[in-house]
Amino acid sequence: MIGVAIAMLGAILTVAAVVAVGVRFREQVMLSTLPIVGVFFVAIVVGEIFRITLPGSRRAAPMATAASLAFAMTVGSAQMPSADYAGPLVIAVTAVAMAVGVIPNVVRRRRVRLPDLAIRLIGIAVAALLFREVPVWEGRTVLDLQANWPAYVLALVMLLISALGLIVEMFLVAWLRAVRSHAPLLRTIEDEFRAALALSAALSSTSALVALAERPLGLVAIPLFLFPLFLTQFAVRRQSAIRRTYRQTIRTLSRLTELGGYTEVGHASRVAGLSMAMGHELGMSERDMLDLEYAALLHDIGQVSLTEPIPGGATVLAAPADQRRIAHDGAEIVRQTGVLDNVAVILEAQTTPFRQVREFGEVLPLSSRVIKVCNAFDDLAGHSPDSAKRDAAVERIHLGLGYEYDPRVVDALVRALARSDQ
Amino acid sequence: MSVLSHAVPNYLAAVWLGAVGLAAVGWWMHPLNGDDVVALVVLCVMGILSESVKENNLGVRTGLSFTSIVLLSSVALVGPFGAAVVGAATLLAVNKDRVEVRVFNSGMTSAIGAVGGIVYLLGWGAAHVSDFSGAGSLLLHVGVPMMVADIAQALSNALILSGIVRLTQGTPIRRFVPGMLGSSGPIYVGYGIIGFLFVVLWIPAGVGPFSALLILAPLFVARWAFVQYGDEERAHERTLSALVAAVETKDLYTRGHSERVAILCELMASSLSMSRSEIEALRFAAMLHDIGKLAIPTRALRRAGEISDDDLVRIATHPARGVEMVRDIEFLEGSIEAIRHHHERMDGRGYPAGLRGEEIPLFARIIAVADAFDSLTTSRSHRDAYTVEEAVAELHRRAGVHLDPWVVAALERGLVRRVWEPTRLEPRLMATAGRAFDHDDPVASDLMADRAGPALASSESRGADPLLAREATP
Repeated sequence: MIGVAIAMLGAILTVAAVVAVGVRFREQVMLSTLPIVGVFFVAIVVGEIFRITLPGSRRAAPMATAASLAFAMTVGSAQMPSADYAGPLVIAVTAVAMAVGVIPNVVRRRRVRLPDLAIRLIGIAVAALLFREVPVWEGRTVLDLQANWPAYVLALVMLLISALGLIVEMFLVAWLRAVRSHAPLLRTIEDEFRAALALSAALSSTSALVALAERPLGLVAIPLFLFPLFLTQFAVRRQSAIRRTYRQTIRTLSRLTELGGYTEVGHASRVAGLSMAMGHELGMSERDMLDLEYAALLHDIGQVSLTEPIPGGATVLAAPADQRRIAHDGAEIVRQTGVLDNVAVILEAQTTPFRQVREFGEVLPLSSRVIKVCNAFDDLAGHSPDSAKRDAAVERIHLGLGYEYDPRVVDALVRALARSDQ
Repeated sequence: MSVLSHAVPNYLAAVWLGAVGLAAVGWWMHPLNGDDVVALVVLCVMGILSESVKENNLGVRTGLSFTSIVLLSSVALVGPFGAAVVGAATLLAVNKDRVEVRVFNSGMTSAIGAVGGIVYLLGWGAAHVSDFSGAGSLLLHVGVPMMVADIAQALSNALILSGIVRLTQGTPIRRFVPGMLGSSGPIYVGYGIIGFLFVVLWIPAGVGPFSALLILAPLFVARWAFVQYGDEERAHERTLSALVAAVETKDLYTRGHSERVAILCELMASSLSMSRSEIEALRFAAMLHDIGKLAIPTRALRRAGEISDDDLVRIATHPARGVEMVRDIEFLEGSIEAIRHHHERMDGRGYPAGLRGEEIPLFARIIAVADAFDSLTTSRSHRDAYTVEEAVAELHRRAGVHLDPWVVAALERGLVRRVWEPTRLEPRLMATAGRAFDHDDPVASDLMADRAGPALASSESRGADPLLAREATP
C-alpha cells in the first residue's frame, strides 16, 4: 500500500517535471546544454544497468545516483554556459534515464522495485531543487550565488546538498521498510543509516567531484571522476557477495541435522523464518537479527553429537538435562568457528527457562528466549497448515507462560502468527 | 650469516643515500617554490596519515595503497624534490612496523618519489599545472607524464624491494620483480588515474587541499569494504571447516579426515600449478566431499562381519546425497561435480556414474587420490596405519586401474615438500569405537566394484528409492 503511494509520488514528480520542461521548452532545452545532458543521461543509464545489491537486500545503483546528483549540481563556467539548465530538466532526464536503465533488468527478469526507484528520484529531486531552484539568500539560488564563492566553499555546499538528498532517500527507505516489516520506525532509521552511511559518503563526495571537475575538464570529467566510485562499487559488491555466501553456507549447514535424520525436514528454516518475524515485532536491530537468524538456523546443530536421534527431532519433548546438553554441545561446536561467539552465547541459553530471569536475575539474551519459543512452537505444530493444531501448540506454550517462556516473546509469537495468516 | 647481518644495514644506508642524491638532482631540475610550501605540508601530512592507516594483512589482491596515490600526486604538485620530502616524511607514520622496517620503507618511498618526479619532468610534464586548462592540454601535459611517472614508480618500488627480499629471504631478483609487477601492476594504473584526478581538482578546479577529502572519501569506503570482505571471507572459511569437523567428531575413524583430504588436495593442486580460484574450489570440494555420509544410517557403516549388498548400495548413495545438500550454495558450483564423482575409478567400475579415465572431472580424481591416501595412512580396526612410503607404493599399484597415475605422481611430488604424519589412533580408543566399515579404503573400492559392479553404477537413480529416503529421514 505504502509502496504504491511512493511509486505514485515518483510518477507524479516525473510528470510534473516533464510538463515544466515542456512549458518552457525553448528556454530549458538549448543546443549548448545538449552535450552535457546527453553524457549525464548515458552515465545514469549505465549506472542503473549495473546496479548492486547490498546486505539486507538493499538495492543501490551507486554510479547512477552519483551521476544524477552531479547532474543536479553542475555549474559550468561563465565563458561556456554548458550547464545552463533548470531543476525540472534534471528530474525529467533522470527519470527517463532510470526507466531506460531498468529495461535490461526487466528483460533479464530481475526484480525491479518501483518504490525504490521513486525514492531515489525523490532524493535527487530534493538536491536538484535545492541547488537550482530554491531561493536561499535574497531571492537568489545557490546556482546564482556560487559564482562569487571560492571553490572549496562551493565544494562544501555541494557535499551538504547531496547529503541532504541522500538523507531524504534513506529516511524514505527506512519508512517503507518499517511499514512493511512491522518494525519500529526509529529502529529501521538507525539500521538504514548504519547500512548506507559509508556508501552515501562516497556518493556525496563523488557527485561533488564530478560537478567541480566539469569546469576545467568539460565532459571528460564525468566518466573520469566516476572512476574512484567504480572501485568503491566493486569492493562493496564483493563484500555483499561474501555476506550472501556466508548466509547460504549457514543455511546449508543448518540442514545437516535434517539430512542425518536428527530433526524434521525444514524445521531449522521454519524456526529461522518465525524468529525473524518475531524479531521485527520485538523491534530488534538488524545486527541482532542476523545473529538471531544464524542461531535459529543452527539451534539444533548440537544434535549431531547424539548417537541415536530423538524421535522426530523434537527437543521440546526431550528431558531438560538432554535439552541442555544438546544446547551446550551446539554452542561448543559454533564456538569452534572462532567468529560466531554471539551466536554461541544465544545457543547456550536457548533452553534456559524464563523463570531463571525472574527468580535469580539471570541474564538471558532476548534472542535465546525467541528461539526457545519458536522451537517449541515448531516442534508442537510442525509443518502443518491445520490451524487447530497451531492453536493447540500456542495454547500449550501459554501453559508455560512466565515459567518456561517470556510473556513478551509469546505475545510477539501470537502477533507474528496473526500477521502470517492475513 | 655475518655477511648478511652487515648487508642489510648497508643496503638500508644505500637506499637512503640514493634518495638524498635523487632529491638533490630533483632540486637542480626544479627547485621548490615558496608558494608550494602549503601544498608540501598538506601532502606530507597526507602521506604520514596514509602510511599510518595502511593494512598489511589485506593481501596482494585487495591492497590499496593511499601512499602511492599521494606520492604520485606530489610529483605534479610539488616537483621531484617535494615528492622526495613527502616520501621521507612517512618516517613519522605511526604503525605497527618495526623501526628498521619503517626506516627502510620511508627511504624507499622517498627515492620512489624523487624518481617519479624526475621522470615526470623528463616526460615533458608541466612543472606549473596552473599554466594549462582544458581537457586536451591537461591530459597531454599532466595526465600522460603522470602515467609515465607512475610506471617508473612501480618499477623502482619493485626493484628496491627485490633487493631487500633477496638479502633477507634469498628470493632471486629475477623471480621477485616480475611476480610483484604482475600482481600489483593493474592497481598502479588505478593509482595513475586517481593521482591525475587529484591534481586536476587541486589546481585547475581550484579546490586546493580540500580536494584530498573529496577524492579520498570513495577510496576509503572502497578500502573499508575490502577489509570487511577479507574478514567475512575468513569467517566463512572457518565456519565451514569448524562445522564440518564437528559432524565428523562423532566417528573416531573419520575425525579430521575432511580437513586432511583438503590439505592433501591443496598439496597436489600446487604441484599441478593450478590457479588460486581453482585451488579454492578444490579445497571446498575436498572439505565437503563426504558430507552426504551423514544421510547414511549409522548402522550401515557399523556392521560387524560381512557387509551386505544393501548396505553397500546405501553407502554408494553418499556422493549424490552430498550434492543434494550443497547444490544451493552458489560459490560451490565449481565443486559440485567433484563431490559427485569422487568415488569413480579409472577403469570405470566406480560409482555413481561409472565414468572412466579422463571422463572423470580432474577435481574428483584428485580427491580420490587424497581420500585413498588418508584412509591408508590412518589406523583401522582391522589394520595398522600404513607408513607414507607403503601408502604411496599402494597408490602406485592402483594407478591406472583405480587412480589417475598423473595425480598420484603429483601427490608424490607434493609429499617431498611437506612431511606427512600418518594418523595413528590409540588401541584403547579403537576398542571402544568398535568395528566400522571404511568406504574410503581402496580395498572397499575393489570390494564395491567386484560385488556390486553394474548395480552400483545406477545407484544414483536408487538414491531416490522411497525405501532409502524413508530410512534416511525417520
